Amino acid sequence: MQTNNKLKINIGPQHPSTHGVLRFVLELDGEIIKSCEPVIGYLHRGMEKMAESRTYLQYLPTVDRVDYLGGFFNSYAFCNAVENLAQIEVSKRSRYIRVLTLEMNRLSSHLLWLGSYLLDMGATSPLFYTLRDREVLLSLFEELTGQRLMYNYYTFGGVRHDVWADWLKKVADFVEIMPRKIQDYEDIITNNPIFATRTKDIGILSKHKALQYSITGPNLRASGIDLDSRKDANNLIYDELDFETKIAHSGDSFDRYMVRIEEMRECLKIISQCVNWLMGNEGDVISPVKQPTLKVPEGEFISNVEAPRGICSCYVKSDGSGKPYRVKWRTGSYYAVQLLPKLLEGTFYPDMMAIFGSLDVIAPEVDR
Amino acid sequence: MKNLKYLISLIIGHLTVFKHIFKKPVTLEYPEKKIELNDKFRGEHAFDVEKCTACGTCQRVCPSFGTIEIEKEKDENGKFYPKNYSIDLNKCIFCGNCVQYCPFGAIKMTQNYELADEKKSTLKLEINTLKRNYFDNIIDK
Ligand code: SF4
Ligand code: SF4
Repeated sequence: MQTNNKLKINIGPQHPSTHGVLRFVLELDGEIIKSCEPVIGYLHRGMEKMAESRTYLQYLPTVDRVDYLGGFFNSYAFCNAVENLAQIEVSKRSRYIRVLTLEMNRLSSHLLWLGSYLLDMGATSPLFYTLRDREVLLSLFEELTGQRLMYNYYTFGGVRHDVWADWLKKVADFVEIMPRKIQDYEDIITNNPIFATRTKDIGILSKHKALQYSITGPNLRASGIDLDSRKDANNLIYDELDFETKIAHSGDSFDRYMVRIEEMRECLKIISQCVNWLMGNEGDVISPVKQPTLKVPEGEFISNVEAPRGICSCYVKSDGSGKPYRVKWRTGSYYAVQLLPKLLEGTFYPDMMAIFGSLDVIAPEVDR
Repeated sequence: MKNLKYLISLIIGHLTVFKHIFKKPVTLEYPEKKIELNDKFRGEHAFDVEKCTACGTCQRVCPSFGTIEIEKEKDENGKFYPKNYSIDLNKCIFCGNCVQYCPFGAIKMTQNYELADEKKSTLKLEINTLKRNYFDNIIDK
């Protein structure tokens, strides 16, 4: 549609680059984006309302679908909230298993992001390499939990079953070869002139704007703010592990890429520490909750977890019955989409995907 | 100078990609070859009718309402048993809750994942299909 020299175009909802079902209405003046309006809600599944009609146990398998690339994170956020409300103890071994699976999940999510981001910008080969390596992780998940994306592995107070030595050995093997693979990606991508020109100084997110828009996760760290909720998570055993929070300073698309690449290396560090601990220590992992009905005392709790796309919070309010009174999700992608119109204003149309892709937005997390 | 740096990085990049030509393929030619699944895989259900007491726990933990239907009846000794039992795979999300919380271990999940069918009605597993699955996949293994 053309109105006073501006062209209004529609991108999505079924667009290969929108990573789900997301729609943008762009107003163009020539090649320059004058305004962008994200239209969300195409993937709305009523995750929050659904909780009110289900018991805690019935709701638990569905929370993996809040963000289907980071199922463990949602599961953990919900389990942690309920555990805190019902005062259920989680054993140390369970915590280690949780951290191990969380970090593997983060790695697999970043790998998929890397491949699809490069694909959005026209580079096809990295997609195959990242998917190949992600496949190893997904097979490991399948072996452990029974499914590749919708794990339903955590229970209130523990995990469904223990990990076994064979499986840990496979994870250790993976950790050993993975740094070489990451180096491969870097060889192909990081110094590539085309990639650099398309991402450096593009879509700059200032510290101030990032804070204004409540951006969290790697997007925030790329703008130079050192906020990593893993560092002050008291429920998991991150304080016993040795890892660094990687930050970058300019806040452009390239820095967001760099932060995620560095984060993958940190993930590997954490994974190998967890594997070592789990191999050397025994313990109980089975949840003390055996009954299919779980009564949670009255109260409310917000649990936070550093998910691959920013802090994922789950608010649970219980009225003392077997069903949650209210569940609310806060996910990183939702805020990143709100930021997009600001980042895109005045940029060139071909840069749109370089900016949007770098924010690592996935639609189910936006809509819930 | 900058151009030279770019050229070198391009060459490194191309060599890295080129290396992959000599590697073994990681994909499988489905459907001729299939991946091996382990016994924790959550596929189509199997049901051991002898163990079930029609207690209804599986129904209560299932996140998808109306997936499991049980018709319970008393036998001559006064014990409950499932006269009819069905799992509707159209609604099932394969979460495995029913397997985990069944107090008698009557439900199991098999490695069968090729469930595409022409009719919706065939995806509703009746008690006989579930029993057959149990014999074919759990006992025979
Ligand atoms: S929970 Fe087990 S025993 Fe109870 S009705 Fe279901 S299958 Fe039968
Ligand atoms: S696997 Fe989950 S959704 Fe399917 S029947 Fe069992 S409890 Fe219900």
